[in-house]
Amino acid sequence: MRHFTFERAKSVDEAVKGGAQPEAAFLAGGTSLVDLMKLEVLTPLRIVDVSRLDLQKIEARTGGLVLGALATNTDVALHPEVRRRLPALAEALLSGASPQLRNAATVGGNLLQRTRCAYFRDLATLCNKRTPRSGCDALEGWTRMHAILGGSNQCIAAHPSDMCVALAAFDARVKVRGPQGEREIALTDFHLLPEQHPDREFALSPGELVISVFVPTTAAAARSRYVKVRDRASYAFALVSCAAGLELSGGTSGRIIREARVALGGVGTKPWRSIEAERALAGQPPTKDSFRKAAELLLAGAQPRRDNAFKVELAKRTMVRALTLAAEGA
Amino acid sequence: MRAELRGLGATLVVLTPEGGVQLRPDDPPERLRPAPKFWKTFAAGLPPALTLILLAPDGTVRLRRTSDDAVEPEAILLKVLRAAGKAVRTQAADAKHPAPARNALERARLAGSARGLGRRELLLTSLASAIALAVLDACATTPPISEAKPNSAIGPDLIDVNLEINGETRKLRLDPRTTLLDALRENLGLTGTKKGCDLGQCGACTVLVEGKRIDSCLALAAQHDGHKVTTIEGLADGPRLHPMQTAFLEEDAFQCGYCTPGQILSAIALLNEGRASTDDEIREGMSGNLCRCGAYPNILAAIRRVRS
Ligand SMILES: Cc1cc2nc3c(=O)[nH]c(=O)nc-3n(C[C@H](O)[C@H](O)[C@H](O)COP(=O)(O)OP(=O)(O)OC[C@H]3O[C@@H](n4cnc5c(N)ncnc54)[C@H](O)[C@@H]3O)c2cc1C
Ligand code: FES
Ligand code: FES
Repeated sequence: MRHFTFERAKSVDEAVKGGAQPEAAFLAGGTSLVDLMKLEVLTPLRIVDVSRLDLQKIEARTGGLVLGALATNTDVALHPEVRRRLPALAEALLSGASPQLRNAATVGGNLLQRTRCAYFRDLATLCNKRTPRSGCDALEGWTRMHAILGGSNQCIAAHPSDMCVALAAFDARVKVRGPQGEREIALTDFHLLPEQHPDREFALSPGELVISVFVPTTAAAARSRYVKVRDRASYAFALVSCAAGLELSGGTSGRIIREARVALGGVGTKPWRSIEAERALAGQPPTKDSFRKAAELLLAGAQPRRDNAFKVELAKRTMVRALTLAAEGA
Repeated sequence: MRAELRGLGATLVVLTPEGGVQLRPDDPPERLRPAPKFWKTFAAGLPPALTLILLAPDGTVRLRRTSDDAVEPEAILLKVLRAAGKAVRTQAADAKHPAPARNALERARLAGSARGLGRRELLLTSLASAIALAVLDACATTPPISEAKPNSAIGPDLIDVNLEINGETRKLRLDPRTTLLDALRENLGLTGTKKGCDLGQCGACTVLVEGKRIDSCLALAAQHDGHKVTTIEGLADGPRLHPMQTAFLEEDAFQCGYCTPGQILSAIALLNEGRASTDDEIREGMSGNLCRCGAYPNILAAIRRVRS
């Protein structure tokens, strides 16, 4: 690990000031940052510990949930209102990492965690995300874990977060504060596509600190599920995952989808919300057939590579499964 | 060599008239340009002959040896390292035990640390030969540099960190990079907490912080300043083992035992969390602790036993 100075921010203002310094990094739980600092993939000169700031609260308001940036992944997942009003988020969080890691990991840190692309993590290989314009060894490499949607000729690293998939599906908004004041960013705009600048991953400017995340809790959110498929039963990143929510109308005999919410994980270079699939589902009966059609639509543009072609069909089936569970009710 | 340097908490600096090399335990070797400032501090102001310096973490010189031309550099290196080891040992013993041991517990601790230092002595010998090679190599390959630009050889500022470990407040001065795991193992000698992957992937380093289980390898010690930490050493009440420890013994819940401290702390936390009513819940709740020996069925049985 490279040398750095360590300071603890006593207030949000102090944190923003510290974070705006060159080569500074905020430290929350440390489970992503310290990991990558050990590998010397990240080499900040200045660590601003924000973990003691008063941003742990989880608030259930009439229109939605406010998750403090420092609420732990465990606390959010087990919060009774989160489980009742947005079960997909609780399930997504509980499917991620391990109990130990979730106790340390925070909402803000999860939003800003970096990819698990093996080439990004290995200094001996080429990676445009790590070193801009140096090349990408993943493109012709071992791509089992890589993205099939949203890649570019510079980078195909998959976005690793489960939490962000659930948040993307349900219109979450991220409140940040920086040297220029406070602003809100839609979760779907928070993560950037790699395009020609895979090193730029977030719509944040230097010094901007995540304060909280707001998720509106709609009828579709209350009837939502998260399904994750991975290489072992637990404690593994997603090969494919899906957050799905449905608002249904009509009696049990002739139910119709009023509104659908779908986002996929493990397949995109960012959490992959599909408005197109959601539109295709609206007005349809909640049947396997409509689910499958929407899944075909979502994955029509997939660009699989040598080792991850299986993800196309797996993603479709995972999506059908998540929608089926949502239709059955949580 | 790095592990040994880390164990000693030292930075190694080698100066030659052409420049030198500085080696901190966790960094790549750093070339030093010829630096009169250094020569003043370490070599009476003159371009030094081969000079070896061990710096204590606070930047003070722990040891300095300069070769006179008559002696083989390798021999000097070995001598230097032996002397360093001796100095370090006396210092450590003085700091830890200012007065003779008063009771059985303290005697046991003393015996424990003596064992640890014995191993350290062994490490020093291998360090000596590794350094000898590194220095000879550096002397042969360091190109002469003309511009004389001073270069700081002093490590980062140390920071004060207080941890309440198993009910006892411990005051530490640490390199900010020290993880909670390394603070426990390297600085406090509490080696019950294990280092498996050092990347959050195995759970061997599980401890309780403020009553919650975390992987201590992915936390900086500084981040937990003032926090209560429970390690495997803090579970037994005198000779009486914690019920989870007893259950692991009775159910044969380990083979090599390397993952066991982490498993036990994780299991205790799991039962406190109250989400272990079925076998599947226990398996999921323990999924953050890997066991290469595959003692999983017996670990499950041990937890079941304590739960009921
Ligand atoms: C072995 C392992 C397995 C894992 N498995 C999964 C998994 O299956 N699914 C999954 O989703 N995740 C998984 N994770 C990732 C884990 O969820 C993240 O590491 C965690 O959420 C990061 O949170 P943190 O608080 O520890 O962040 P930190 O490590 O403290 O910070 C991460 C990044 O966020 C920045 N940051 C933190 N807080 C803020 C803030 N308030 N404002 C602005 N920037 C901030 C930091 O500067 C840093 O760049 C796994 C991690 C490990 C090590
Ligand atoms: S050593 Fe910490 S999780 Fe493996
Ligand atoms: S007992 Fe050997 S690793 Fe678990």
